This record gives sequence, structure tokens and C-alpha cells, in this order.
Amino acid sequence: MTQTPTSATRAVVLPEPTGRRARRPRKRPQGMLAFGHWWWALPGILLVLGIHYASTAVGGFFAFTDWTGLGAFQLIGLDNFVEIFSDPTKIGAVGNTLFLAIASVIITNVAGLGIAVGLNRGLKSRYVLRTLFFMPVVLSPLAVSYIWKFIFDYNGPFNGFLGMIGLEEAIRPWLADPEWAIWIVLVVISWQNTGFAMVIYMAGLAAVPVEIEEAAAIDGANLWQRFWHVTLPSIRPAVAIATTLGLVNGLRIFDQIMALTGGGPAGATETLATEVYKESFALGNFGYGAALALILTLIILVFAVIQQRLTGERREA
Amino acid sequence: MTQHRHTALRRGAFIAIPVAGALVLAGCSGSGDEGDSGSTGFSFTYATSNNLESPYEALANAYMEANPGVDIELNPQPNDNYDTTVRTQLQAGNATDIIQTVPGAGQPRSVVELAEAGFLAPLGDASAAIISEGTENLFQVDGETYGQPVDFTVTGIVANLTTAQDAGVDEFPDDFNAFLDACADVAASGKSMVALAGAAAPNTGLMAMSISATRVYAETPDWNEQRAAGDTTFAESEGWQDTLQTVIDMHEAGCFQPGAEGGGFDAITNGLAGGTSIAAFAPGGSAVEIAQAAPEGVQFMIEPFPADNSDAFILASSNYSLSITEGSENQEAAQDFLDWVAGAEGAQIFADASGQLPVKGYEELELEGTVYESSAELLTSGAYAPLPNTIWPNASVYDALASGVQGLLTGQNTIDDVLSAMDAAWG
Amino acid sequence: MFRYTKLTALREVGFWALALVFLLPFYFLLMTSLKSDQEVFTTSAAAPPSSLDFGNFVEVLSARGNSNVLWGLFNSVIITAGSIAVLVLLGSLTGYVIARSTSRWSTTMYYLFLVAIVLPTQLGTVPLYIGARTLGLTGSVWGMIILYGGMLLPLAIFLYAGFFRGLGTEYEEAAAIDGASRTQIFFRVVLPLMSPATGTVAILAGLIVWNDFFTSLIFLGGSDNQTLPVTMYYYIGSLVSSWNKIFAIVIVSMIPILAFYLFAQKKFIQGFAGGLKG
Repeated sequence: MTQTPTSATRAVVLPEPTGRRARRPRKRPQGMLAFGHWWWALPGILLVLGIHYASTAVGGFFAFTDWTGLGAFQLIGLDNFVEIFSDPTKIGAVGNTLFLAIASVIITNVAGLGIAVGLNRGLKSRYVLRTLFFMPVVLSPLAVSYIWKFIFDYNGPFNGFLGMIGLEEAIRPWLADPEWAIWIVLVVISWQNTGFAMVIYMAGLAAVPVEIEEAAAIDGANLWQRFWHVTLPSIRPAVAIATTLGLVNGLRIFDQIMALTGGGPAGATETLATEVYKESFALGNFGYGAALALILTLIILVFAVIQQRLTGERREA
Repeated sequence: MTQHRHTALRRGAFIAIPVAGALVLAGCSGSGDEGDSGSTGFSFTYATSNNLESPYEALANAYMEANPGVDIELNPQPNDNYDTTVRTQLQAGNATDIIQTVPGAGQPRSVVELAEAGFLAPLGDASAAIISEGTENLFQVDGETYGQPVDFTVTGIVANLTTAQDAGVDEFPDDFNAFLDACADVAASGKSMVALAGAAAPNTGLMAMSISATRVYAETPDWNEQRAAGDTTFAESEGWQDTLQTVIDMHEAGCFQPGAEGGGFDAITNGLAGGTSIAAFAPGGSAVEIAQAAPEGVQFMIEPFPADNSDAFILASSNYSLSITEGSENQEAAQDFLDWVAGAEGAQIFADASGQLPVKGYEELELEGTVYESSAELLTSGAYAPLPNTIWPNASVYDALASGVQGLLTGQNTIDDVLSAMDAAWG
Repeated sequence: MFRYTKLTALREVGFWALALVFLLPFYFLLMTSLKSDQEVFTTSAAAPPSSLDFGNFVEVLSARGNSNVLWGLFNSVIITAGSIAVLVLLGSLTGYVIARSTSRWSTTMYYLFLVAIVLPTQLGTVPLYIGARTLGLTGSVWGMIILYGGMLLPLAIFLYAGFFRGLGTEYEEAAAIDGASRTQIFFRVVLPLMSPATGTVAILAGLIVWNDFFTSLIFLGGSDNQTLPVTMYYYIGSLVSSWNKIFAIVIVSMIPILAFYLFAQKKFIQGFAGGLKG
């Protein structure tokens, strides 16, 4: 049986002639599920409704109150939202959030795809290299931030390196520089997430049959043409997953910023998620923080829908 | 069928969360049974930021030694997340019996804010008795006491006099211009006058407040009351403008270590203990802490920040307090402990362990020859004001100051930006 | 066609060079963790330690109280393993029903889970804490397993559902003809076929749970059952930039999850490939 899932997925790692086209699912059974019980899904559904939806709904309710996080509160309508949109630092946080999410998605996906394509064929040590490039993904964001804080510390190795190659005037406290701090944050996020995008692309690439590329090569297509017209269209599902996950996680970026800059200098690297945390927990403005979180939720949902639409169209094309 | 039982449990979870939400809506604090007289143990949450023995731990250990039947469950929390953790637990009704608080209303862990929300239990007479005259409103709400002060903290500049002498500063300057000159001299020798944790909001904020002692409060001791009454604003106040200008002057004169705007608290500890910096803005007790990291024989002193056309003035007040949570099941045992802390023995143990002055009776102490020698005269003559942010109405004002000062150092903000943001946060 | 040519060799060398630059932070991590307190301040970060000094590791592992790293390690292992078990069981069951049922409500549920993946957690933290407190789930390892199970369930369901959609029903039909019950079919036949998806769920969820700091800080606050990241945070908070010890504890926290990844990575990548068939 060439169509068993086990051989199909083995083909993914060790490419075999069985292309992904050969693995269409068999016709589905008619009507309701034939081999399970519908109530098998109940525990999962209830847990998700309780932990995700009920708590988010209760939290969302507070966006319309002046609750401090303790004691009594009043319903104040849209006042929190008015206040947010009239505060330049909050608008700045929205800008930073979008910048970090979009820029990190582009960097990690281009780099991840590049490494995946480069390692895909022929390299003897590709499994070792794959593991090495994946290593940062395994680290906790907290640990990653400690390492990079050390590197970009004023007395750290990066400034030491600059001094060594004679660029003394470039030495600065990188994480407290209003211009540079957010770029450092971007470098750190990209460093940690590139391996993740790489793995998704490797999995996608492994499903592309080698013959198609060979046929294109015989037809005289150069490397770039082969990539653009043959490889890339075959890995669209991988592109969709890698960019969606990257974007959603980028919009939620929190741990790295708290540990690297704490949102500083003077708010220059503040994002929506760090503002939500600061307002609702550190400063005791829970209602205001909830309103910020609601805005963050809406932004994420909008981007997720756009992403879904784009990939949906591509699939039909 | 186990699956059915699981389902029932999940459904229970699903219903319980909206119900719990409704409790929040009703403003209910979920208080438990009143004090159980039989219990002799209690739990105690406090903030820590290092691994030296916390003064609260020292208190608890001494108390347990003196009272063998008592078992205190210690629950230290990292300072960064202390507010989040304690407030979440208070809200859910499972905070520990005693929590560390701060006086006033200016922070998420402030006595007045927590008491007004109904999360603290009234304390006994011994707690009320040690509150300094004139500061009752920082610990009491409607005549009931909710916080017991534990310290008397002098806040100014902690200076390493040994390093100062090595760098040619024989006498710590008490005039601001002399201070700026000294900054330049020290910087020329490759060291720095001040070690600043510019990326740590508590340090930039503390610096601005320490400077404000001479620029604002020496002349207008009731400035905070005027601000509360709406008679003045930060942006209008010459004293506050002068305070922030002083920060800029210091920055330009090279008072801070290189890369100060990105420094963390390690910059202070390493700079002062390692002899690369002379001084840092810090509460007096931290002199003890830093001295532990410094080589033997290094002399530290708490100096007032140099005045500029005004009399010398310093910040000194009770900055920490202890409170019993409403609904605590061990209120009696907890109150017994607080009574002991308020007494002479407890106060002494805390003062020794924290390096702060004791909350009562510091006037009679012989401060000659201690780190407090330079500020002793100011304390005796009453030339001191309480830490301003204990009197401010919410945590956002101080946050605006602290993050604003970092912005002044990096050039992101003007003095006016910072002061206007503080006014906006005052509400 | 794709033979090992000089160009391939060049590419191989190039990628190794890239990997070495990419992993430079790990070099600093390892070198610094092996230095003594003096050496950290006196030598350059790039310089290797003058002698191998495992004293930092010994000190980190023998810390007690709040900073008991071994106890944190133990709690983290239990919580991570338990959460993975919950996610595999509930995720596969729910994903199976959703993927196999063609009714409209299963599509609705599918989108419900999809949205839950992207919802930010901050909004629900306080209500969730109060709910968990009411049910007695705070402060205990079991409570954390249920919480993490619920929090990551949408992701697990999404991955499993994608995989079940790509699986034909012939195995189930064959097993049914042999007289197996529905439960037997699922646990004896279907779930074993899902091992790549299980690998993906286990690694993804394992990484998230293992590294999660905020949830365990809040929900385990005040209990003795702190996880490794919280222990690490407490310990590092007390160190005041003793980078050698900070990095020693980072390495200690990294090793178990790295080992787990190396063990499960083949299934992990297969799982992704399976999920990508859509």
C-alpha cells in the first residue's frame, strides 16, 4: 500500500517517488462520524469554552469599566478607548507591535525558507545543521533575553567587538538607545524564531517530488526560476502556516521585551502586550488594560482573517 | 464510564467561572471565617530583590525562635512581580495572612488603596501607636489602622567615601556647582561620580525624588497638598522644572557612568562595590547591602543631595509597612506577631537586618560614626520630607516620572513633556 | 541530477560558517558559565575560561528554598508531561470527532478552536485565576496540568484535525469488520497511526509549557510547587549580574527540553509535514 499514512510521512523526511499528489484522502464516509462518538469531543469543547471564551468574555467586559483590579467599579462606556486613542504613547505601542510583528515575519520566513531550501538537497550534514539552527527555538524567551542582554550590555561582547575593530564611536548602550533598541529586539526575536520557520519549510519542501525540479532543470530553468515557479508554489501550505503563526506570535510579543528593555527607553519599545501588562497589573488600571487587550485581540483577529483569506485564494488558484 | 465523569467535571468548571465572575461584579472579596483563636501559625508574603537574608525573614525567624509553638510560612516574591501576584491573590481571596505593603496610595501595593478596596483587616492599638504624628492618613482609613510602619528610611546618595578619596574627592560636596566640578574631575580619572541604573524605573524615579528634596520640598514642604488641592501643577512648578534640569546638568557634566541610560541595578552594586563609581541614589538601607559586596574596610556614607541656593534637605519617612489581609483565618496570631514587631525587640531586629533606622526612637540614637552621620543633623532639625510618591494619588504619576527621566537622558523627552505627563497621570 | 559536486561542498561549508555565527550566543553562554567570578569581569566574553570550573553548576544545583533548581526541574517535568498527556488524549478525541463529522456544528467548533488559538491571554488572566481558585486548581501541580491542557487544547485540536482529515477510513472499516468496538478502533488503530501528529503536539506543547513563566508565576504563587522558569527567575533576581551563574542555570534549564527535542524531532517534522497536506 503506497497510500498508507506511515509511508507517506516517511516520504516526507526521506523523499521517495510517492509525491504528495498520490496522498489524497479517500472518500469520506457519508453523514455523521461512523467510528466515534460525538461526545468524545465534549470535554475538549467545554475546557476550551471555559478557559478561553468565558474568561476572555469576563475580561472583555472590564474594558468598559474603571475597575482598578480590586474592589468596586463602575461602567464607563467607551471612556477607556477614547483615552487610549488620545494617548500618543499607546498609539506608539500599536506602531511598535505592528512593526515587530510584520518585520519579524518577513525576516524569519525569508531566512527560514533560505536555510530550508539550502539544506534541502544533497548536504551530508543537513540533519546536524537542521538541529543546530533549531536550537534557539528550544530556549525559553526569558533565557534568550538574558543571553542577548549580556551580549548588548554596555560592557558586553558586542561593544567590545566594535572597540576591537576600531568603531569606538559606534559604542552605545544599545538596549537604551531610542533609535536602536527596537532593532535589537527585532534581531533577538528573529534569531529565536528563524529555526521554527525553517522546520515548517523543511517539512513542506520534503513533500515536493524531486522529479518536478529535475524536469524543470532539464527544461533549462535556472535556479531562481526553479525556486519561484516550481518550489514556492508547491509549499504554499507551509508558507501559510509559517506566516500565520509568526504574525500571531509577533503581535503577542511580550516576554522578550519585558526581559530585554522593559518597554524602555522611555516607552520606545513598548508594545500592546507590555502595555496591557503594565496597566492592568503593575499600575492597577485593570479596566484600561482590558480595553488595550481588547484592541490587541481585535487586531490579531483582523490579521488572522486577512491571512486566512489570502491563503484561501491561493489554494483555489 | 470515566469519560462521563470527566464531562461533568468540565461542565462544572465551565459554570463556575461565570459565577466567579459575578462575584467580582458584586465587589465581593470572598472573605472567609473570622479569626480562629486556636491557630498559632500564619503565612507572610513579602517582596525580595536579592538573595541576602530579607529583613522580614530575619523578623520571622527571630519570632519563631522566641515562640516555639509558632510556625510562620514565608512566601517571598520577586519584587518585579510582587504587585501582580499579591493583587491577583487578594482578588481571589487566597492571599497570605500578612502581606508587605507601602504607606499611602501611590503604588499598587499601597495601604490606602488596598484598604479602601476592602482587602485589609483593621490592626490593633500597638500598630496605631507607632505611626509618626502627621502621617496617620498614610496608614489609616476612616480612623482604622490598616498598615503598620516598620522602618524609617533615609533616602539620598549612598557614597563610597574610600573610592571618593582615591579619586581626589576628599570631602563630599554639599554645593551643587562643586558637585558638578567634582563630576568632571572624577570622570577625567576614568571613574564616575554616580552609578545610575538608567533602565530601571525605580532608580531613575528615586533620583528625581531625591533631587526634589532640595529643589521642591525644602521651600514648599506642603507641595503635594497644594497639588492635590489643584493650586499648582508639576508643569507650572519651578521646583520640579529645576529638579529635572538638575538631572540634565548632571548628565552633561559627565556625572553618570558611561552607558548609564541602559544600566540595571547591577551597575550600582558593581560600581560602588568595585570602586568604579563613587555614589548612587538609593535608600539608606542599601548601603549595608552594597557594603557586603565591597572589600573589607571600605567606608560608606549616606549623603544628602547637594543643594543649589537652598538649605540642605533630605527625604526620610517610613517607606514600608505590614498589613493583615481581610478574611485571614489567623488574624490573632498575625496580630500578635505585628505587636511584637512594633515593640523594641522587633524594631531593633528589623533595623539591624535592613540597615534602615527603626521606626520609633531614631531621634535618640547616636548616629555619629554610622553611615547616617552626614544626615543626622538634618534628621534632628527636621529638615526632611517624606518620600513624595507615598503621598501621590496613584502609581501612574511615579511611573511617568521614572520613565520620563530615562527619556531625558536619551533625549526623547523635554522637561515639559515629563511634567505634563505626570500632571495627566495625577488625574 | 543532484549529485554531490564541488558546489554542494561549498554550500555545506557555507552553511556551517553561518551556523557557527548563528550559534555564537551559545558559545558565550557556555564559556561564561564555566568561568569563575573573577574571570567573568577580567576576561573578554570571547575568551575561553582558563580552567574548566563546574563550580557554578554545583552552586546553582545546590541552591535551596525558593531557588531549589532540582525541585523546580522535577515540578516542570511532571507538569509538562501531564499537560502533554491531557493534550494528546483530549486533542486527539476532539480533533477526531471534528474532522470526521461532516455536520455544520463541527465546522463551527473548528472555527471556535481556530479563534481560540489566536486570542491573547492577558484579557482572561484574572477571571481565569478566580475561576481556578474557586475550583481549587491554584497552587497544585494537577491544577496546572488542567490549565495548560485547556490553554493549549485549541492548538492540539487544530493539528490533530488537520491530520485526521488526511487519513482515509479504510483502517477503521477493516477494524470494524473484525468486530472491534469504537473505543478499540480509536485507541488501538487510529491513534497509533497519528504518532507524527502526536509528536508535533508533544514538542510544541512541551516547549510552551516548559518555558512558560507568567502562568506558573501567578497560578502557583505562594505554593511550594514552583516550576523551573519561576525558580530560575527567583534565583537570577538574587544574583545581580553574576553572569556565570545566570548562564549556568540557563544551561541547566535548557538541557532537558533539548534532549526531549532530539528524541522526538523526527516525529515532530513528520507531524508538520502531515499537517501541511491540509
